[in-house]
Amino acid sequence: MDIFTKAEILLRDAQYETWTWIASASPVTCFENAALMGFVHVFDSADGLLGAWKENQQIALARHAASLRGAGAKAWNVYSVFLTPDQDARRGREIERIEEDFSLTRKIARASITTPDDVEKALLPLLSIRSKPLLGASNFETRLRTRLKDIPPDAVTAFLSETTPAEIARILGATS
Amino acid sequence: MRLDFIEVCGFRGFRDLVRINFGRGFTVITGRNGVGKSTLCDAVEFAITGSIDKYAVEKAAKESLSDYLWWRGEGVPNAHYVTASFVADSGNPFTITRTRERGSDRSPEEIHAALCRGPAPDDALRQLTRTSIIRDEWIAALSLDLTETERFDLVRSALGALEGSEAGSRAREVVTAAEAAHAKDEAAYEAARSRLADRLTQQSETQAALSRTGDVSGALQVIAAAAPDAPTELTARLAAGRSALANGRARLGRMGEALQLGREVVAAQAVYNAPEAVANREGASAAHEAAQREHEAAQQAVSEAEQRLVREEEMDAMAASLSLLVEHGERLGLHDDHCPLCAAHRTSDEFAAGLAAARRRITSLASGVQAARDALASAKENARQPSLTLQTATAAVQAHADELRRLRDQEAAHVDFYNQWGLEHRFIQDPDGLEHAISPERDRLIDLERALLVLEASQAVSRMSSIESNISALRAEIEKLAQAVSQSQNAVTAAREIERSVRRVSAEIIDERLAQISPLLNELYQRLRPHANWRTIDYSIRGDVRRFLSLKVGDGLNPQFVFSSGQRRAAGLAFLLSVHLARAWTPLRSLLLDDPVQHIDDFRALHLVEVLAALRLDGRQIICAVEDPALADLLCRRLVSTATEGGRRLDIDLGPLGATSVVTDQEINPMPVGVLRGVATA
Repeated sequence: MDIFTKAEILLRDAQYETWTWIASASPVTCFENAALMGFVHVFDSADGLLGAWKENQQIALARHAASLRGAGAKAWNVYSVFLTPDQDARRGREIERIEEDFSLTRKIARASITTPDDVEKALLPLLSIRSKPLLGASNFETRLRTRLKDIPPDAVTAFLSETTPAEIARILGATS
Repeated sequence: MRLDFIEVCGFRGFRDLVRINFGRGFTVITGRNGVGKSTLCDAVEFAITGSIDKYAVEKAAKESLSDYLWWRGEGVPNAHYVTASFVADSGNPFTITRTRERGSDRSPEEIHAALCRGPAPDDALRQLTRTSIIRDEWIAALSLDLTETERFDLVRSALGALEGSEAGSRAREVVTAAEAAHAKDEAAYEAARSRLADRLTQQSETQAALSRTGDVSGALQVIAAAAPDAPTELTARLAAGRSALANGRARLGRMGEALQLGREVVAAQAVYNAPEAVANREGASAAHEAAQREHEAAQQAVSEAEQRLVREEEMDAMAASLSLLVEHGERLGLHDDHCPLCAAHRTSDEFAAGLAAARRRITSLASGVQAARDALASAKENARQPSLTLQTATAAVQAHADELRRLRDQEAAHVDFYNQWGLEHRFIQDPDGLEHAISPERDRLIDLERALLVLEASQAVSRMSSIESNISALRAEIEKLAQAVSQSQNAVTAAREIERSVRRVSAEIIDERLAQISPLLNELYQRLRPHANWRTIDYSIRGDVRRFLSLKVGDGLNPQFVFSSGQRRAAGLAFLLSVHLARAWTPLRSLLLDDPVQHIDDFRALHLVEVLAALRLDGRQIICAVEDPALADLLCRRLVSTATEGGRRLDIDLGPLGATSVVTDQEINPMPVGVLRGVATA
């Protein structure tokens, strides 16, 4: 899986504009929407990420310094996303602690990014709510009628209407 | 639909009129503690429900929320009311105004119609405010700290799956009604069976009576003879006959007893008067007389011996006195040839001879006592046997006297029995005669009984047809009742099947819906990331009648017990937000949060802001009250403001007289786009 491509797909689906900027060492995916902007950096290894994230952040900010200076409050909404497919669990936690560094940009730093789902989970702070449960009508009556196929329909109709319990019991006795 | 504005006057801490216009996209409200940020949430809730849930159970010193709904500070407000205005996506407004004096200008039904749709839960408006307004004090209380049953109920209500509960209680009522009808049918069936058993017994008895039919006219004559004064009506005559029969049996019984007594008396008399007994009695009498005579003779001899002894003892006493006198005289001796005792002239010889003669005489006087004593002892010994013989003879005579007395008593009791029961006296001395009299009486009673049976049997003919028709009707009735029992049993079975199915379908719907919102809960949990290790949260449902919703992290751990306070609040927020988002029964897309970041660190507060931003991206209206201005800044930057769904920021504070007012009301404009590309446009 190409992390860059998957990230761009997700971001574009979420109404971000995305493009790639080739920095000195590696490509960077830039993204921006009405409120946020940022850069996605992908590293081959956890060590590479831990060793280069600060520099990469700095390079990206420096590259866009002029634009950011004119962005007003939006300049506070810059995200630096650092991702690596490396599954070194020990370093994974160290990488995630990068997120607690609030200087310059909001960071998203994750290791073990190997599936599209991993990319989506990492980019969740940038995306709208993904889960949209469709809780339609429960069709209780229809389901109950289907379930009660051995009960005479008249009795089920009486049960589902305003008929009194005693009358329903009578109908059940008369029709069972 | 979203909140458009809220207007309060004289409500809680707001003395003067304050109107808050909400941004269609978001509104961030800041202010210090106690300036009334929460009151704005209260006002929305009060406008919708007429109450404020967070105070619902709080009561102190007999005061309750209603005493504090309206302004109680200095000064007099111009009015006391709350207005909440909503605007539908179509642009149509819906406004609710509640005044202190007149209450709401909208009925609950109108409010329900505007703010709810589809299958809304019970107490829908309260559920609406509970799931739309997330308060600081509810984040833990309404999420992780809820009991599992309460949590289940909250989620079920939020999901709007209300049909099951209503149908469930209805199904239980139907089961109860069916069971009651069945019990009634069974009781009627059993009663009819019992009546049939009675009738069948009656039928058998009547049948037996029928077999005894005979000469009715002869029977009537017999009864007339037995009860001559009886009425002519058949039933009365039968009753009189039965009464006569009972009396006759009693009399016959007594005659039998009298016969027994008479026979016993005769037997006793025969024994008493038997020749041997007579000879015995005469012999005893003669022996008694002879013994009496012997006894008297012996007693006479004893008496005489006693008299002799008395005499001898008297003489002995005299001899003793004389002896003393002789000894005294001897000691004195002659005195001038004269006896000192009798002064007679005596010589010494004569005096000595006199003394010797006196002594002989004394000796002879004294010697008779012993003989008399011996004679008395002998007489007494001789009298002992006659006395014993007399006692024996007397006892024998007394025994015969007792025997006679007993016989007389028996005879008297016999006569008394005749007197007591009015029996004929001629039979007192004639048991055989009585026995002869008993025999025809017994025959008469047998005839009477037979006559009665014949007469009863004649009645049984007509009774039999009535009983048979009654039995036939009862059998038909039992058939119908058995069918009714079978039907009502079927009704109970069917009612129980309905109840089971209702419960199952309701449970299935809720389970399905929970399964549907589970990814949402997990997504929000992952976004808020309360815990570094446990990245997902799961739920489980158990119970059939009472249902429980458990939240689990990691390997089945309860977050309530393994999370810190801040982590619990973050997990709780995820839960409440998922409940809020899962509601399909309201068009209201406003989420109000009252200071949701207390006890949450900056990192997790940032996650919350990002979650709210994500909700904004979905077009939800976010209204959030916070204390920290920096957090308010962050929210204003991070929540998307667009040309059609703008944002607002309000700062509220207390005025000099303690009334709350809006200090700043700032519109948050959309941010520039195309910044990074260097083509920024505002």
